[in-house]
Amino acid sequence: MRIVDLSTFNAAREAGLAKLLPRKPRIAIGMGTCGSGNGAEGVYHAFSDAIDNLGLGFQLSRTGCFGFCAEEPLVNLWLPGKPLLIMRRVRQSMVPGILDDMAAGRVPSDRVLCKIEEWDHITAGMKYGAGFPEIPHWHEVPFFKGQKKIVLRNCGLISPDDIEEYIAVGGYQALYKVLIDGNPGAVIEQIKASKLRGRGGAGYQTGIKWEFLRKARADRKYVICNADEGDPGAYMNRNEIESDPHSLLEGMIIAGYVMEATQGIIYVRAEYPLAVHRLTLAIEQAKEYGLLGDNILGRGFHFDIQLVEGAGAFVCGEETALIRSLEGKAGRPTPRPPYPAEKGLWGYPTNINNVETWYNVAPIVIKGPAWFTETGSPKSPGTKVFSLVGKIRSTGLVEMPLGTPLKTFVYDIGEGGTEDRAIKAVQTGGPSGGCIPQEMFDTPVDYETLAQIGSIMGSGGMVVMDEDNCMVDVARYFVEFTHSESCGKCVPCRIGLDKALHILNRFTRGEATEGDLATLDELSRMIRDTSLCGLGQSAPNPVLTTIRHFRHEFEDHIRAGRCRAGVCEELALSPCENSCPLHMNIPRFLQLLKEDRLEEAFESVVIDNPLPASTGRVCQHPCDDRCRRKAIDESVNMREVHRHIADSIYFSDRFDALAAKVASRCMASTGKKVAIVGGGPTGISCAYYMTLLGHDVMVYDSNPEAGGMLRYALPEYRLPKAVLDRELELIRRVGVKFTFNTKIGDEISLNELDALYDAIFLSIGTWKESWVYLPGTELKGVMPALNFLEAVAKTEPVALGRRVIVIGGGNAAIDSARTALRMGSRVTIVYRRERKDMPAIPEETEAAEAEGAEIVFLATPHRIVGTGDGRVQAIEVVKTRPGEYDASGRRRPIPTDEIQRFDCDTVVLAVGETVDLDFARASGLKIKDDGTVEVDRYTLETSRGKFYAGGDLITGASNVSNAMGYGKKAARTIDQRLMGVRRWEDLFPEFEYSLTPPAHPSESGRHTVTELPAADRARSFREATVGLTEVEALEECSRCLRCDIRNGNH
Amino acid sequence: MNSPTLSEPRLRPQEQEFIDRLIVKYHGSPGMLLSLLEEIQESQPNKYLPMEVLEYLASRIDVPRAQIYSVATFYSLFNLKPQGEHTVCICRGTACHTRGSRSLLERLKLQLGFKEEDEEGSADKLSATTPDRRFTLRTVACFGQCALAPVVEVDHAILSHVNERTLEREIETLRKGSRKA
Repeated sequence: MRIVDLSTFNAAREAGLAKLLPRKPRIAIGMGTCGSGNGAEGVYHAFSDAIDNLGLGFQLSRTGCFGFCAEEPLVNLWLPGKPLLIMRRVRQSMVPGILDDMAAGRVPSDRVLCKIEEWDHITAGMKYGAGFPEIPHWHEVPFFKGQKKIVLRNCGLISPDDIEEYIAVGGYQALYKVLIDGNPGAVIEQIKASKLRGRGGAGYQTGIKWEFLRKARADRKYVICNADEGDPGAYMNRNEIESDPHSLLEGMIIAGYVMEATQGIIYVRAEYPLAVHRLTLAIEQAKEYGLLGDNILGRGFHFDIQLVEGAGAFVCGEETALIRSLEGKAGRPTPRPPYPAEKGLWGYPTNINNVETWYNVAPIVIKGPAWFTETGSPKSPGTKVFSLVGKIRSTGLVEMPLGTPLKTFVYDIGEGGTEDRAIKAVQTGGPSGGCIPQEMFDTPVDYETLAQIGSIMGSGGMVVMDEDNCMVDVARYFVEFTHSESCGKCVPCRIGLDKALHILNRFTRGEATEGDLATLDELSRMIRDTSLCGLGQSAPNPVLTTIRHFRHEFEDHIRAGRCRAGVCEELALSPCENSCPLHMNIPRFLQLLKEDRLEEAFESVVIDNPLPASTGRVCQHPCDDRCRRKAIDESVNMREVHRHIADSIYFSDRFDALAAKVASRCMASTGKKVAIVGGGPTGISCAYYMTLLGHDVMVYDSNPEAGGMLRYALPEYRLPKAVLDRELELIRRVGVKFTFNTKIGDEISLNELDALYDAIFLSIGTWKESWVYLPGTELKGVMPALNFLEAVAKTEPVALGRRVIVIGGGNAAIDSARTALRMGSRVTIVYRRERKDMPAIPEETEAAEAEGAEIVFLATPHRIVGTGDGRVQAIEVVKTRPGEYDASGRRRPIPTDEIQRFDCDTVVLAVGETVDLDFARASGLKIKDDGTVEVDRYTLETSRGKFYAGGDLITGASNVSNAMGYGKKAARTIDQRLMGVRRWEDLFPEFEYSLTPPAHPSESGRHTVTELPAADRARSFREATVGLTEVEALEECSRCLRCDIRNGNH
Repeated sequence: MNSPTLSEPRLRPQEQEFIDRLIVKYHGSPGMLLSLLEEIQESQPNKYLPMEVLEYLASRIDVPRAQIYSVATFYSLFNLKPQGEHTVCICRGTACHTRGSRSLLERLKLQLGFKEEDEEGSADKLSATTPDRRFTLRTVACFGQCALAPVVEVDHAILSHVNERTLEREIETLRKGSRKA
């Protein structure tokens, strides 16, 4: 059918409408590349076969992608007169059920994502029907909330292979209008007034660019669409073309008319075969309908569009390089001026715009510039499509008004990070952009603001990074990319990026120096300022922004030789070792035990971790999160293996011999005296290593026995004192000395320590319970968790009521609750956030619930109600609701009006512990705003010479293993400072063990500890779990994939 | 490459004819050389551009051989060496990188038995073929399948959310599969 006038145009529209709103049920499968990659082809054929077999006479078609890639394949269902339903994650097996439901006029019971009652295609409206009140509207789904689909107006709703469906939703109407009006100048004025900016990245005003070409005098002009979307992490152009190719053609034809060009070229990536296929088909159809080619719409205008497949060169995104490529040359940019509008392809005036720019043309023509500028920010009107990908829950294509804050993308639309990992940054603009840290997520996303903070909008890639991503590696990754994509023409880019890559490689290998960081910074600025084209000028952005916003990560690589995220492989033995605060050589002890060498396995464990049985019970086990075995089934239970190893020795007759063997490792006496203040896990770790290093070590503690929190805060059922005592016995045999019942500040002053010792390490922990200020805390029956736990540990009398409320969600809260249960009370835990936000170890929380503790989430204390004689009678809590995301990446609890009352006679406050400020102030050391002691992050030196600090005292309340990690680190730095040479490595013996990785992963699943039955354990302080059996421990060892072995080398 | 003296193009008549027809199809249009090279490479059994083909093309379209060679070596799509029976292409886009595509690549290199010297190009632009020509391992800047990351393309079919084990099995299946005639 050739459209030559209004009646033929309307006929095509009617034909299209009959397909979109037929008189029978309609099913459309989302079949972009994403959908197909998730099984949409199979779903389509399943529908097709079933409809045929059942003789249903439903209409079945293919559509593009509606943008919610994480939920693909998406399927649209429509019953005449009803709203359009979008189904998510449809599988072939679900097809018969869906067809049954549709035949009966029902909504499928499962997997309905949302409904659309009417849709604004911008160029036309579409009414599907009303009904299904129980199903949310599309814009009520978090992923779509706030999205405004101008560019994506047709995507996922019409068939990309059918021009009539495009015409049915107002397609080619703008072209028709422009040709009938016959006033090209007015169209350019419209585009100029809309302030539409190029969507390829640079953001130049489209209208002004068009005016240049219109004014250019030549017998031939070219209009080019740059669809060489080469930015890694960006795929909006692919989806736009795959889902709605005609909008692109229409924009180009209009532009051709107003700029008096007759030849259009679409330069599209060869890596997008489906986009190429659909565009080819769309061009044929447009020609057939008289919308492209000779005498368009009968108005005498001639315009052709030709498709050229790019051949994989990122630099061809640069307009002059793209033009050289079309001329049959290597894609090397040329200097501007002359601009393409003067001298472009083969010397003729040429206009180049990005795919998405063209999609905005028809809406502006139809609705006018004033409508367009209503959306977005004053300088950046309109919307932009972003590909929201990376470490985020809901990935997909998102079209938002320009100026929307970044946090809306990350937390509202993307629904936060995956696997509860904390989000660290968003990378925008691909290799030309930069990394924006989490603290800056209030930044509005528009051209100017992103440029101010060193990034760019680019073509719209948004890659979310979390704590498992190393920002140095990210910088290196992008430079590696631009380095290999550099065309080699200009020196700053070709050689500069090569040198930058070399320097970055030194960082990732831990070989970089402070000087390298300065050189890298200077070099990057030089490349940015002196390169010929956009590739070189923007290539340093990822480096400069990561240096600016993540300098501490670069410093970690230089000064500590560590990559916290565990990405830079050469800086870590294995992911588990890297995540362990004590950096235990985990693969080694697993292998030694596997080889049935228990004693050596113990030696290996205890040289890395002085309290392996205690940590084997209570560690937060960050190693579990990083274990590569998770990709296969579950992580190796490393914590429980070292508990098993330690227990097997501590309670056997081999203990004496092995303790003596460890003690024999002590180096010759150095004559240096070291005081350690605080005999908790931090202090003990430091004391242990300092003694092994040959120093004379004295540990001061205010309590009558050693162990700190391990003894006085951790309940017996988690860590039996007998186990702790055995561990401390080994510490003593190594030669650590203790002075108990001595409080620093009272019995002995810091000045006295200064006079007596060569170095002093402060590790007093956080013994002060934070207090919540609410009415009623003065009542009898309100107690801080630590005091409660300490009193129980010391077997002092505690006046615990029968009905106990615990406030808090950390380990101390759970420990208090489980302790109170064992004392015969009924316990309810009140926590202000959601379950997933609890800092407590999840297994502990589950155990508490199994033992009978109730947990009330999303509630915060309002007041404690007392009796006439001043005793606790009840507590009132305010229900909260999750609000905005805070800096911790968790939703801030917002109080509601709902108040709940719980009768109780005891309230335990476990809302966090802090440093004893009196001590900190009296010490004369520099204190940070949060009350912790200020230290150099790498050496742990305080503001006072000879004084070092570690553990909770510098971090605030943390956990046992983190605290011990500081003690170990302190020993290394203090020794080096005292001796002037690096002797640390000499402490660690070599072990011989197999360095062959398993040929195949062991078939065994993960073994966990055996829990005593909940009812039994809740009545007793007996240890609540039984460790792995010997067989289980050995099987766990065999499950290790041996990440410590690479390429046959160690 | 094959022979240093190639003044006389030595192509079979059908091949010459095929190229001549393509030249007519694309004559004078923008992007002609790219389109020609793309179609010729696709038509070759080993998906590469033999030197004698480039020589022949140069003589027919009156473009200097140096320019054709420059174009063929500039763009990553073109191969100057025969490709393997199966092509495994690992996406090195940002989303795939943040989700571990580098370790997939390292793992696969080990599995296919590559050593450093077999590889062409830098780490992110790799193209290497096993000596038995069963497998070619390549990387691509980005497939634009970022929501499915990490993505690996095996013989033009996209595999999504790949992990080391699924990839290993995929390769083993191909390896055991019967060799094409």
